[in-house]
Amino acid sequence: MKYVCLVYLVENDMSAMTKKEADACTDESLAYDDALRRAGHLVVAHALQPVESATTVRVRNGKLFATDGPFAETKEQLGGFLLIEARDLNEAIQVAAKIPMASRGSIEVRPIRELRLSGEYA
Amino acid sequence: MKFLFMIYHDETMMDALPKKEMQGLIDSALEYDEEIKKSGHYVVSNALQSSRTARTIRVRGGTVSTTDGPFVETKEQLGGFFLIEAKDIDEACAVASRFPPARIGIIEVRPVWELAHS
Repeated sequence: MKYVCLVYLVENDMSAMTKKEADACTDESLAYDDALRRAGHLVVAHALQPVESATTVRVRNGKLFATDGPFAETKEQLGGFLLIEARDLNEAIQVAAKIPMASRGSIEVRPIRELRLSGEYA
Repeated sequence: MKFLFMIYHDETMMDALPKKEMQGLIDSALEYDEEIKKSGHYVVSNALQSSRTARTIRVRGGTVSTTDGPFVETKEQLGGFFLIEAKDIDEACAVASRFPPARIGIIEVRPVWELAHS
């Protein structure tokens, strides 16, 4: 079963880090990705550029509306995500709790939903 | 360059859709997957179960605390995501705008940040 782990962080705290601290965070995160990959848990993981780089897109009556910035303005922002494979929610939570950023931010864990075409239902 | 699409929609509104209409949306979303696989934009995508299934985890002083529910309480909830490959944000937004549920929901498009060891 696949779960997504959404990593929320206070961007300002992250950008206030010294280079050494930021490098250590990056190294820890990449090392954990590697450990998850070896254990067969990792599907894909990425950090995201800051929310200022976001564009929010809507289509209404066939017209595209694009606005700068993220959809939700929050104190903590989505800073990255991991798509993992886990036996059940408990295992997913155990994996999420060891994400290095879990000690600085918050991790939302959510099961994915398998979509099927209408023709695929027996 | 990789971009993440975060698809937000009103879960209450989605839950209230007639089954046929909901399946029509799912079919169009899966057809879109195929379309952007063919165009070379697709990396990975998944729909998510309801935000009611979410747990939020924090680790402070070595202690793990878990709370039920999503991290952010908003009227529209994250319902799925796409990771895509595009030349730049304009191309990414153009790809996002073709996603059929963009007609009823909202898509946040954000470039990924490639981490490299120090």
